[in-house]
Amino acid sequence: MSAWAPLFAVVGALTFLFTRRTSDRARAVTYPIGVTLFGLAGWQLACELVRAEVFPTPFDVLAASAELIESQRLWGDIVASLYRVTWGFFLAAGVGIPLGLVVGWSTRSFLAFNPVIQGLRPVSPIAWIPIAILWFGIGDLAGIFLIFLSSFFPITVGTMAAVRNISLVHQRSAMNFGLKGIEVFRRVVLPAALPQIITSLRIALGVAWLVIVAAEMVGMDSGLGYLINDARNMGSRYDLVVATMVVIGLIGIVLDMMIRKLERFDEVRWGYVER
Amino acid sequence: MSERAKQRAKVTFEGVSKSFDQRGGILDVLEDIDLTVADGEFVCLLGPSGCGKSTLLNIVGGFERPTAGRVTIDGVEVEGPDARRVFVFQEYGIFPWASAWDNIALGLRHLPRSEREEIVQRTIDMVGLSGFESAYPMELSGGMKQRVEVARALAVSPDVIYMDEPFGALDSLTRLTMRSEIIRIWQQERNTILFVTHDVDESIQIADRIVVFTPRPGRVAEIVEVGLEHPRDLGSPEYGEIKNRLYELLGVRHVI
Repeated sequence: MSAWAPLFAVVGALTFLFTRRTSDRARAVTYPIGVTLFGLAGWQLACELVRAEVFPTPFDVLAASAELIESQRLWGDIVASLYRVTWGFFLAAGVGIPLGLVVGWSTRSFLAFNPVIQGLRPVSPIAWIPIAILWFGIGDLAGIFLIFLSSFFPITVGTMAAVRNISLVHQRSAMNFGLKGIEVFRRVVLPAALPQIITSLRIALGVAWLVIVAAEMVGMDSGLGYLINDARNMGSRYDLVVATMVVIGLIGIVLDMMIRKLERFDEVRWGYVER
Repeated sequence: MSERAKQRAKVTFEGVSKSFDQRGGILDVLEDIDLTVADGEFVCLLGPSGCGKSTLLNIVGGFERPTAGRVTIDGVEVEGPDARRVFVFQEYGIFPWASAWDNIALGLRHLPRSEREEIVQRTIDMVGLSGFESAYPMELSGGMKQRVEVARALAVSPDVIYMDEPFGALDSLTRLTMRSEIIRIWQQERNTILFVTHDVDESIQIADRIVVFTPRPGRVAEIVEVGLEHPRDLGSPEYGEIKNRLYELLGVRHVI
């Protein structure tokens, strides 16, 4: 048995120990590192205990990551996945937000469309993969279509709910000051719903990033999902599989951090503080 | 009827009743309200919670329709909200997504920019918000938010202002300040004000006349003339008399 597992554990414990009296800000960085080190210790230990042949240790994954980066292939797959997510997501936001605003505001269209939207919403985007391939073939379009579907429902439903939750006092203020038609949307409906719209965008982007990997594993010939499948098929390279999973996780964090920047604007900050 | 009420009538309630359909029956909230408010008069609607005084305000404000009777302003029946008559809400009706300045400018959208800016600045100075023009409501204290709300209403120079317990959520000191501020502004602008409250002292401090409501279904129990000059001496015997009379009407005198 190697010394790695105990070493990870000791370094993790020391990280907690030495930073426990520092500022909250510093601990927000060091504590997660400590937890990760304990996780690595457990992983390393488990690999050694079962004498895993196929399953990679943390060091195998590190080596595989270096291999991926050197191979140049990784960048192409990242770009392919992000391309599909970006297009699908923005199309969904472009259709879903206006639709949600209108359906949420007009009782008549809410009565008409809400049951249909609620009926389609529980169908997993994964279930659409065969139809996506049938309509668009193997390639970017099928991926964009699937991401569109998986983002569209959270965005539309979130926007709809936000509009229907606009407080009566604000609606009456708008009426009292004679706001009409498009002005009501611009000055009250949209700004009142915006914090919740941003939250639904965040959820949608998270779902989109989950779905693209699954979609690429089944119905595409590039992208991070395809890379995972390919790594397994070309001689059970589970080290590459896990390295790709790490990349997917890191990109997911970056995407979420980017979209969370939207929550900082003065116009929406009120929606996130305790009321 | 008071001397002032004999002057030009501004708001007239004629036999106004309101009931709501509820599970298991009909809930009568207001019954046969007759009331005339003169131009430039400050009238308080006082009553226990649930007596329908806020409902009456919502009816005259055009947000709800009476079940029977009618409300007229300047002889014209009220059929919906009107930008010339502005509500100051119980909870914060100002928009949290807009700065103090933009909130106050809400009713001035159609004016040319220079005129709009002049009015907004003047109103901000009037309510004592100078220096907070670009602040968002979440950055303001409760009292300041309510000032923005009042300023938003004043900016459009409304001929009638409806206030639904506007200072209910404020601490008692701020409430006192806001009362004297509203009196100061009213003496300057002379709008007609309908002010809903369940606070006996508040009504005596600010109103020309106090309309006392019975518990549900709300009827006018009595209209009490205050007849004291501003600034009012809260320790004067007249003040005490009015207060006793109001407590009696509200059926709580024996408690105190």
